[in-house]
Amino acid sequence: MNGRHIRLVFQKEFTDLLRDRKTWIGALVIPIVVIPLVFLILGSAMSSVEKEARAYIPLAVTGLQEHPLVSQLRALPGVTLLHPADPMTALKQAEVRAVLQFPANFDQRVKSGQQARLTVFYDPSNQKSSYAREVIEQAVKEYETMLVDERLRSVGLTREAIQPVATEFSSIATDEKMTGSLLSTIIPLMLILSLISGGMPAATDLVAGEKERGTLESLISAPIASSNVLTAKLLAVMIMSGVSAIASLFSLTLIFSAMPLGEANVTFSLGFLHSDSLAVLIVMLLLLAAMFAGLELAISTAAKSFKEAQTYMSPIIFVGMVPAYMIMPLNPVDVPFLYYVLPIFNGIAIFKEIFYGDLVTWHALVAILSSLVYVSLAIGIASRLFRKESLIMR
Amino acid sequence: MIEVEAVTKRFKQVVAVDGITFTVQSGEVLGLLGENGAGKTTTMRIMATVLQPSEGDIRIDGFSVRNQPMEVRRRLGLLFGGEVGLYNRLTARENISYFGRLYGLGERQLAERVKQLSRALGMEDFLDRRVGPFSRGMKQKVAIARSLVHDPQVILLDEPTTGLDVSAASVFRRLINSLKAEGKTILFSSHNMGEIEKLCDRLIIMHKGRLIFEGTVSTLRKTYGLEDLDDIFIRAIGEEE
Repeated sequence: MNGRHIRLVFQKEFTDLLRDRKTWIGALVIPIVVIPLVFLILGSAMSSVEKEARAYIPLAVTGLQEHPLVSQLRALPGVTLLHPADPMTALKQAEVRAVLQFPANFDQRVKSGQQARLTVFYDPSNQKSSYAREVIEQAVKEYETMLVDERLRSVGLTREAIQPVATEFSSIATDEKMTGSLLSTIIPLMLILSLISGGMPAATDLVAGEKERGTLESLISAPIASSNVLTAKLLAVMIMSGVSAIASLFSLTLIFSAMPLGEANVTFSLGFLHSDSLAVLIVMLLLLAAMFAGLELAISTAAKSFKEAQTYMSPIIFVGMVPAYMIMPLNPVDVPFLYYVLPIFNGIAIFKEIFYGDLVTWHALVAILSSLVYVSLAIGIASRLFRKESLIMR
Repeated sequence: MIEVEAVTKRFKQVVAVDGITFTVQSGEVLGLLGENGAGKTTTMRIMATVLQPSEGDIRIDGFSVRNQPMEVRRRLGLLFGGEVGLYNRLTARENISYFGRLYGLGERQLAERVKQLSRALGMEDFLDRRVGPFSRGMKQKVAIARSLVHDPQVILLDEPTTGLDVSAASVFRRLINSLKAEGKTILFSSHNMGEIEKLCDRLIIMHKGRLIFEGTVSTLRKTYGLEDLDDIFIRAIGEEE
């Protein structure tokens, strides 16, 4: 290892990469532009569908036309009663969102203190029809409450008699915890994806690209050990991969801090990140970056051309996605021990713990130690390939 | 000085270079002639320590390519034709300086050398522009400057005039002559007989990995009794078939 040589090659590679648009598109555009855009489009599309569905709710009623429940429904904002010739066809064609069918004896059974049956036809494959169902349920519930109160009063009872226990659910999760549990589902996936994709253009360019342009032969004919060349290239790829991961981390944090967090009254808070979990996060990111850089450089070295390197490299993304999706629905306590030892799995599991705010020290140790093994394996393979004569023989 | 001692190079089943021996003296330009696939580039790659010989050894200024590859690399300047092999996103100066630093030149020495070479090759106008959009001839000049930046004692030129226009080729020939006058050892490979005749003192002909002729152009003429060099070449390799 010669520090001067590594620095020299690294400086050149980095200048070269800085001037290469596709490297930066690969590393930064996805986290900074694509991820927020996807969230924004998804979010606004969802809310506009919902707004539209709530603003105009055409319903049809059969059996009864004038009834306190119908009037109550009609009074709700957005609800309009239509009178189509064939209500069921109108529902199928989405002209009405739901059809309420009152049997002839409805009122009679209600008045005699019995249970009356109301059938509501709706179309669950249509999001708007599902909203209509919610609105109807709400109206029926209010009507029911009114009836129950009336019936109770007639026999001299109050509401407490039929609701002897009042249960109140109170959340003990802090804002940090709520934020963390939300972040811990999506961030590990995004981190892995950006770690992999961020280094790919650089790795492709730095070996397969150099081979194709004929510069690699001059480089390895210079009086500098090939291990130094590879180390410098590895560092350059690692940096691109790390920059991409950090960019997507910032981007996602910003999105989540600006977006409503689903549950009401939860404010975004990163209080769960302590200095030691932050240190583990950085170490883990570096180790994964090094492993992917080694792997990507090995592929780039083995490939006969730039195109071939690109083709072989894209499946790594799927390799990274599988463990990410497997761990996504799990609670950190349910993650099996094996996952802290398996490559990629270990990083995702640790990211999950960090963002959940429940980092277990020995889990982190196991993940870091096993990652060190994978990093040396990946770099070992890359350096074996890099030394072979076939490097310049095409 | 280059001493090639019974070098053989095999790639799996194929024998690319088959027991060749020859010497290039300091201050001499030796032409290496052969068809594509004759083993010229493989021979030069072994000299450059990029490939290991399967048998035999080569000494560059006394250093063995097998045992002292770093010493060999420091003394060699390489210029490969075909792809010129420059970093397109770097400027001409950056390309040359990168290799200067890799060969261990200090910053002041490097600046001086870049100035010298760019004057000699007439590339002052485009020294600080990125090489990507350069013409073939401009790129070749940068590549020449890059191979000579560390003032190597031994220079390997593998079909360096491929793709150069007539005037660029003549600039290049003048440069070779001045390097020769400085006492450098130069090995020049080509498949163009005319070019070899203009530049080289002696020549060797390789065919299918073997050395089939070594001597001066006039000996070659005498041996085959023909005037036209291309005819001689065809005859020489034909006799080997």
